[in-house]
Amino acid sequence: MRISDRRFALYLMTPAALFLAVFVAYPLFRLVADSFFKISPIAGGPRDFVGLQNYVTAFTSEAFTSAGWRTLAYTLVVVTLEFALGLGMALLFTTLGRKSQIWRTVFLYPLMIAPIVAGLLWKFLMIDNFGLIGTLLHQAGILSDPNQIGWLSDPNIVLFSVAIPDIWLTTSFMCLVLFAGLQNIPGDLLEAARLDGARAPALLFRIILPLLRPVIAVALVVRGIDAARAFDTILIQTNGGPQSASETMSLLIYRTMIRFGDPGLASAMGTIYLLAMLAIAFVAVATIWRPGKDN
Amino acid sequence: MSNASVATKAGPPPSDIPEPQPLRKRRGVNREGLEAGRRSTRTILWILLAAAMVLYGFPFLYLLFTSFKTPIDTIAVPPTILPREWTLENYTNALGRSGVVASFINSIQTAVISTALSLVLAVPAAYGITRYKTPSGRVFIMAALVTRMVPPVAIGIPLASMMASVGLADTPIALSIAHTTISLPLSIWLMSSFFESVPRDLEEAATVDGCSRLGALWRVVIPVVSGGIAVTAIFAFLASWNEFLFALLMTAIRSQTTPVVIANFQTQFGLDWGSMTALAAVYSIPVILLTLLLQRKIVAGMTLGAVKG
Repeated sequence: MRISDRRFALYLMTPAALFLAVFVAYPLFRLVADSFFKISPIAGGPRDFVGLQNYVTAFTSEAFTSAGWRTLAYTLVVVTLEFALGLGMALLFTTLGRKSQIWRTVFLYPLMIAPIVAGLLWKFLMIDNFGLIGTLLHQAGILSDPNQIGWLSDPNIVLFSVAIPDIWLTTSFMCLVLFAGLQNIPGDLLEAARLDGARAPALLFRIILPLLRPVIAVALVVRGIDAARAFDTILIQTNGGPQSASETMSLLIYRTMIRFGDPGLASAMGTIYLLAMLAIAFVAVATIWRPGKDN
Repeated sequence: MSNASVATKAGPPPSDIPEPQPLRKRRGVNREGLEAGRRSTRTILWILLAAAMVLYGFPFLYLLFTSFKTPIDTIAVPPTILPREWTLENYTNALGRSGVVASFINSIQTAVISTALSLVLAVPAAYGITRYKTPSGRVFIMAALVTRMVPPVAIGIPLASMMASVGLADTPIALSIAHTTISLPLSIWLMSSFFESVPRDLEEAATVDGCSRLGALWRVVIPVVSGGIAVTAIFAFLASWNEFLFALLMTAIRSQTTPVVIANFQTQFGLDWGSMTALAAVYSIPVILLTLLLQRKIVAGMTLGAVKG
């Protein structure tokens, strides 16, 4: 007997759905459940129900609220700079046309590099004493002393410095998405605007950017989610320091869980973090993305 | 998160791969759409591009140069760009460390298992979603996208204890399952957009010819989207290959992957920058080359599929 199309589709989706239920939904359920307990870090240790105590602790702790603001600031810096640079490169590749194709491919190379390697590499470039960037700026006469800027040791700028590898790694992605969007802008429209005497800035702000809006929105949401979860690059560069000045939410949760041995509190932080991300992302997705629907 | 660096790099399918064919409309006008017309403008733009490429490419080149320095030269003050003396010492040091070669094997094993698992689960699911457009499919792709927002740090610990309770602690299988939680949503999304581009008549003709729906999928549709499957496989592979956080939380000695070993160089052996740069180079270059090489194949596969379809 032939099963209905609807049922056939369901069968096709079932294995993947089961996988995500077991390995994502269930651990999430465990996370939320753990957030109501005071848990000993020792395996088999005591586990006492404490109600909302962990949430109260999280919200009243200075470390948690400042990690929240830092995560937000980090995300904004990363996404803004990536967008500006990615759009610049996408426009450059578009205006140069097909002859720049090979360079477009080469430009993608950081996307293949592990974030841990990128973090390490930039740490090496920015580190005090033998970091190359300080030395080059000194030799160029911009800095009086190679160590004048403590990229990774000055608490005031470290949050910006740790963002650099992330920006370096994924500006290519932003460029890729925006480039694809630029190719879909009808040439006639641009031609007509040019004939009407529109100059480059007007073309960009009046025609190109408004038409790219959906693509820009998708790119910003995807990268925003990723930047808000950044972990590897920061861990390898500063481990959250100095003085917690680069400790974002992922790092704080990790340290609360592993170093301070408080899985209950870490779970409460993780739950809040996840809910905040879901809320922000959901609003964005619901208004602009709408996957699965016919275009 | 950066981990899942590539995982994180979800996004539309790598749209630069199929080269958009510019329509050669206005002959004589030396530009299409946004292409710059004047020669002087183009020269300036090329110079800009060259500058951007040098700046963008330099950090990795510096990593390579450093890996060929002598260990002492690596941390010389002030640093030099090129090695004073070219040597393979950092490479022999790095690869000679215990656990380094084993970690490569672990990385390969984990990434291969995770890629296979992602494809086996994602291909049918994406086909079910795009071809039948049922309400459950719409709910499912939304749910899959929501899982992309879950911070790995939030599920890493529960996942690790689950694996331990079924006796899979510290195994490549456990880690590849964890990596698949990252690559599966991405793979479903990528495959959905590839299936979307296959004309429906194709399977309809096959089913009329007596193929079952499953047979039509396997014998007719899959060959047409093989280019898309290759792209998805690369993304899934890279997601696992470059992942760090799950690997840190879920592996100890036996199944440690190379990113964890690279990070451990910092604490375990003091600050051995030379070995670290060498190992980082050895770990990164194969995937950079592989992806650049395969890119041609993927383009060929796609155009072939399009012509046949």
